[in-house]
Amino acid sequence: MTAPPLANLINELTKLPGVGGKSASRLAYHILKRPVAEAESLATAILEVKSKIFRCSICNNMTDVEPCAICDDPRRDASIICVVEEAFNIATIEQTRDFRGVFHVLLGALSPLKGVGPQDIDVHGLVRRVQSGNVREVIVATNPNVEGEATALYIAQQLRTLDVKTTRLAFGLPVGGDLEYADQVTMAKALEGRREI
Amino acid sequence: MILSRLTPQNFRNLASDEIAFHPTANIVVGRNGQGKTNLLEAIYFLATTKSFRTPRTASIFRFDSPSVFVAGALQRYGVEKTISAALETGETKRRVLMINGEKVTLAAYLNAMSVFAYSAARLEILRGAPEEKRRFLDRGVASVDPAYLEQLTRYTRVLKQRNALLHAISAGREAPSQLNAWDDELTRAAAVLHRARAAYAAEVSKTYAEIVAEHGYHIRDLAIHYRPSLVADLGQTRRAEIRARVSLSGPQRDTIEFTTGGRPAQDVLSGGEQKMVVLFLKFAKLELFRRRFDEPAVFLLDDVDAELDLEILQELLVRLPPKTQVFATSAKERFVRALAAGSHRRLIVENGRVTATEDLA
Repeated sequence: MTAPPLANLINELTKLPGVGGKSASRLAYHILKRPVAEAESLATAILEVKSKIFRCSICNNMTDVEPCAICDDPRRDASIICVVEEAFNIATIEQTRDFRGVFHVLLGALSPLKGVGPQDIDVHGLVRRVQSGNVREVIVATNPNVEGEATALYIAQQLRTLDVKTTRLAFGLPVGGDLEYADQVTMAKALEGRREI
Repeated sequence: MILSRLTPQNFRNLASDEIAFHPTANIVVGRNGQGKTNLLEAIYFLATTKSFRTPRTASIFRFDSPSVFVAGALQRYGVEKTISAALETGETKRRVLMINGEKVTLAAYLNAMSVFAYSAARLEILRGAPEEKRRFLDRGVASVDPAYLEQLTRYTRVLKQRNALLHAISAGREAPSQLNAWDDELTRAAAVLHRARAAYAAEVSKTYAEIVAEHGYHIRDLAIHYRPSLVADLGQTRRAEIRARVSLSGPQRDTIEFTTGGRPAQDVLSGGEQKMVVLFLKFAKLELFRRRFDEPAVFLLDDVDAELDLEILQELLVRLPPKTQVFATSAKERFVRALAAGSHRRLIVENGRVTATEDLA
């Protein structure tokens, strides 16, 4: 039998996304083997993230300063807003270093099956930001699945009466990959969105 | 590709031995109830993860077995690929699909092997429920356009979401204006399916006429009436849909009717004629596949009996493209003899165990 404190740690770890029973017990035994200092810094890091991180009042990004570093950066173009479903999507777009606008995190996507409606995601905040003026373009970067697409359509409808250009991220082939690895739908979308060269 | 070997595990009554096949003609013989159809069903399952006999996959598990597994070796231009499909029953209901030992998605898996099946159960195409007929078209479209399956899945997902929203609106939990976004998406996703189904229905109907004329069969004027349930002006039907709490138009409501001489085929054709019509439809599908891809296909022909016109069947088989691999079952020796033209292998099924003869000329 596993000792109760150890079993407790394993149980807590299995609550994390992507961690099953086996990974959880491997992690738990690893923590057990390492010096106390390491366990303490892990525990502190977890607690600190909960006490020091909050949502930016402008864009809903996770931040420890108000407003967040992106909203506060004078070099960024606040007239272009990129809309994403979750805060971690920002990191993916930031990696490109190509996007110099700002973000808006919806905190989810429309899904009647899960009972998620427009009042449960932050479209309101987005509309308010656009209404306050100085926004030229809204780039909708929700996921290319059924829910993300409906959310994009909903946002476009909400912004229609406002003086702003609304665009959707393009669908297509991953750059640097081989054509043979593209799935059929991606390939069809890429064909649909082809350009003259 | 050609199926060179098959290993079933816990698949109905089939023994778990490896079975080797002939590259073009396999004739499965044995008394009734020994497992001839089960062998064809296992091949079909390997290719599609489904059964051609029943929509309830639970029945393919050997009695009391928690899982079913079928592996096969495919050959194409001398290159061998192994594929396998496994299902679990009970709460987990996991499905594991592999190509060359690596897990793959359903879409990638279904692309590996193309199969066409004829069996008496397929008469449902003519006389069954509307969804059975829609499936006939959907499988056909998917055989010539693999991306279609994902489009179908996508539509189904949009429909589910929209129906859930209609429920919520009718219960007063959400505002009707929320439908706008889902209406747009439904309309777009539906149009893709409608276009594909209509085009395929027209093609299969034309090809049927060509094949029937070539073989001089007397049911020449089979018409396929595809009536799409178009998604038009959802604003007008909105109140009715909220009341009904489901979407009232769309591909899930398409109907397909087969007529001959202007009357429903299932009413005016005899049992034997219906079997022949379905058989010709299957050959039409196979022909459309062949025109599209330069790929060998597997053709399953279950239970050749007195109601099928043997002479025509023989001719159909002779004229199949050379790369088609046929598996046919029959309980009667004289049908077996009729099928055995050219080089072939006999597979004798006895109580779930399959023994192969040497190849016969």
